Amino acid sequence: MLAVAFFIRETTLMTEGKSLTENADKTEMDVILDDVSFSYVHMETEVVSALSDVSLSLGRGSYTALLGRNGSGKSTMAKLIDVLELPQEGSVLVIGNNTNDESVFWEIRTSCGMVFQNPDNQIVGTTVEEDVAFGPENLGVPTAEIRSRVDDALRYVGLTELSLRQPSQLSGGQKQKLAIAGILAMSPQILLLDESTSMLDPISRDDFLALVDKLIRDKHMTVLHITHDMSEACLADRIVVLDHGKVALSGPPGEVFSQVEAVRALGLDVPVFADLAFTVSERLGVEPDRKILYSRELALNGIREMLRRPPVTYMPAASESGKVESDVAESGTSKSPVSGKDKSGARTVLQVSHLSHFYEKGGAPALDDVSFSVKEGEIFAIIGHSGSGKTTLITHLNGLMRPESGDVFVYPKDGTGPLNVRKNADVRSIRRLVGLLFQYPEYQLFEETVRKDIAFGPKKMGYKDSQVEEKVQSAIRLLGLDDSILDRSPFELSGGQKRRVAFAGVIAMDPDILVLDEPAAGLDPTGRREILEYATRLKAMGKTVIIVSHNMDEAARYADRILVLKHGKASEPMTPGELFTDEGRLMDLGITAPEIVTCLRELKKEIPDIRLEYFRATDAADEIIRAFNTHNRPPVGDGYTAAAADNTSGGDAV
Amino acid sequence: MMKDISIGRYCQGNSILHRLDPRVKIVLCFLYMIVIFILSKPASLLLAFAVVIFLAVLSSISPRKILDSVRPVLFLLLFVFVLNVLTIRTGNTLVEFWIVKITGDGILKAGLMALRLFLLILGTSLLLTLTTTPLLMADSLESLFGPLKKIRVPVHEMAMMMSIALRFVPTLVEETDKIMKAQASRGAEYDTGNIFARAKGYVTVLVPLFVSAFKRAEELAVAMDARCYRGGEGRTKLHVLHMKKADYFWFIVLSVAALGLLLIDLFV
Repeated sequence: MLAVAFFIRETTLMTEGKSLTENADKTEMDVILDDVSFSYVHMETEVVSALSDVSLSLGRGSYTALLGRNGSGKSTMAKLIDVLELPQEGSVLVIGNNTNDESVFWEIRTSCGMVFQNPDNQIVGTTVEEDVAFGPENLGVPTAEIRSRVDDALRYVGLTELSLRQPSQLSGGQKQKLAIAGILAMSPQILLLDESTSMLDPISRDDFLALVDKLIRDKHMTVLHITHDMSEACLADRIVVLDHGKVALSGPPGEVFSQVEAVRALGLDVPVFADLAFTVSERLGVEPDRKILYSRELALNGIREMLRRPPVTYMPAASESGKVESDVAESGTSKSPVSGKDKSGARTVLQVSHLSHFYEKGGAPALDDVSFSVKEGEIFAIIGHSGSGKTTLITHLNGLMRPESGDVFVYPKDGTGPLNVRKNADVRSIRRLVGLLFQYPEYQLFEETVRKDIAFGPKKMGYKDSQVEEKVQSAIRLLGLDDSILDRSPFELSGGQKRRVAFAGVIAMDPDILVLDEPAAGLDPTGRREILEYATRLKAMGKTVIIVSHNMDEAARYADRILVLKHGKASEPMTPGELFTDEGRLMDLGITAPEIVTCLRELKKEIPDIRLEYFRATDAADEIIRAFNTHNRPPVGDGYTAAAADNTSGGDAV
Repeated sequence: MMKDISIGRYCQGNSILHRLDPRVKIVLCFLYMIVIFILSKPASLLLAFAVVIFLAVLSSISPRKILDSVRPVLFLLLFVFVLNVLTIRTGNTLVEFWIVKITGDGILKAGLMALRLFLLILGTSLLLTLTTTPLLMADSLESLFGPLKKIRVPVHEMAMMMSIALRFVPTLVEETDKIMKAQASRGAEYDTGNIFARAKGYVTVLVPLFVSAFKRAEELAVAMDARCYRGGEGRTKLHVLHMKKADYFWFIVLSVAALGLLLIDLFV
């Protein structure tokens, strides 16, 4: 995250310089879409319009972020540019060539490079260098030149040492870099990134984005980046938001994110810092300088400036009539920042003690003497980088892997003695008590109908038919799925629906403990929020939820306690407040603070009274105002007294 | 771990055999297969054994690794040996009880048969699987069968399919593991329960695996399109197979040795 912030600053400077030159010669457009429409046939009968009457142009060397809900037509646009699809109406010009003109077909494809979402499904070669060579080989480049292009491309992305490896030995981040190298070897002008970062962990993502940034600077490439991540979008010099096949918003990040309400109405989010600045302005009842909502630094400056402005009206948190939709969705959860604390008296439902695991004898441990216990009814987050042992740990929790050394105990509700993952006799019961949902769970769907698929688990658990149907019903109700979906084939659903059906399949088993491995990975902001809300809903039903996450902001917001894994070693479970406000501890554990904590920490430099343990924009905004008021001026006037009183009482409740 | 799975039994190395042009190795391999099958006398087979040991020395792979690689077929060898011993009933009888009759002839012939098989497996392992990457093998098959393109045999496409299949083996193995774990979490049974429960268990793996393989294939096809793939015509290669002096030298030496074995077998 820190790295992202760094790029933001850098591109901000670039954007300012670039927009001047861009206006100077408008003629140099690499891509021009003119009134383009495209529709396709889904499931043989349904005609779906992916794009309708879209006009858009990308200037040479420009960096455009393409946002929009799943299914809004983003990928179609990238495919039209790369002649992977042809427009039914309108025209697409790529570097002066019309994509409808068959004679320039290959010329256009050569000038475009595309990186797809799934790293695995775009690697053709059996070794790294073979894969990089694939493009130039297709172009008929002479062998000696292929060699030098491959070497150059691998050096550029930093994979030279791995050139003889098999692709399966690379990490996700390395695979995406390999995809970039494969494109570079064809020396294209236009780079199309189709959700290329969505399957990467934060570190690989920052690495990848740095590489893209370097390409724009060094090679003056034109980039179209499809993404669901709003802070990534801020790196671009222009954002285009698609909605139902039409351009809904377009402009520089500052301009687009200034329309906070419109962006949210389109099912997207604004970056955390923008959300914070906007919420502060709402609370203070002042109008912010909206154009600054695309970099942390500018947003924080905006907050400082707003605080200093004379107050107009203060809107206390209680009277939120015009509250934005997203906040309503979140309001179901407790506002108290350290809600985990009162759980200390709760019953232990799961206990891991001295668990170790080695994949290779004498190798580095995947898990190294891990001990912790999980309390009933809490949301327990496990965070850590790729390869820190998270997946190994959770596969021990329901006995998919048996401990090599150490133990895992599960305590059933009825108070019967602990079940031991080591005992074969106990594993069946443990599988029923501990539901495990892996990353990208939609791949596990297999039945003819959604109903049968969801019923698979409960049936296996030995429930009677009537009970099974009841469990299926309550599972889909919890996940907000419609009854009509039950008789459809799971394979004809959209990605987000599949995810929820898979989720329902585990919930229907009615486990006491749910283990979710990155449940929201790869979803658009609305989908992400919904999935995480289910976790809070499950918690409200008295279930215990264990979530594995990469996203610090989400972990901070949703978890009661957090365990950090680093190279197979586990930290003590801590509340988000204990973990994220302690800079030294974060450094030791090698994780970054949530964006919102970073914002608060920055502001704390001038307003020392600010406490850091607030992870929602609304809470954090209240805290900033409270701290500013107590520090800078004694409460005067009704509005302020009310504000101060309201906030202090909120604080005392903690 | 699943990730480290390697296709075939390739042993990393840079020996004479590793560097030898894979087309030469394929042709030689073929030649040796024929010769070893023709050889009928114990002396010539022992000489062939010497040649294979010479190959093993050329490969500079440790004897242990070589033996490890043939261990899985030892059972087959034993089976062939026993079967031959029991079925060959000519020659002087050594032991006889019930319906079993073991003859000296039988033991000799069974021994030769087992030795022949052993040499065959060892020879092909050394020449091909241990010292040649599967990809090079696909490449050289494309090159060797290249002339068939003239009569419209899709040689390039077949080689491309082979190399993509090789590329995706580890990916699919990993995926199978992942799906099995996911389904086991939902109560599917692979190792417990009766035979029907187990069969049903495998359905829960195979369906998603196929669905995902098709999806992968579709996405890969788009990705290949995007990278300008348009069949074998006009395509160049990063690794072009090139016959060098050493390749000619070893080709001649080893084929002469093979012919020599044949002559010895016929006339000595």
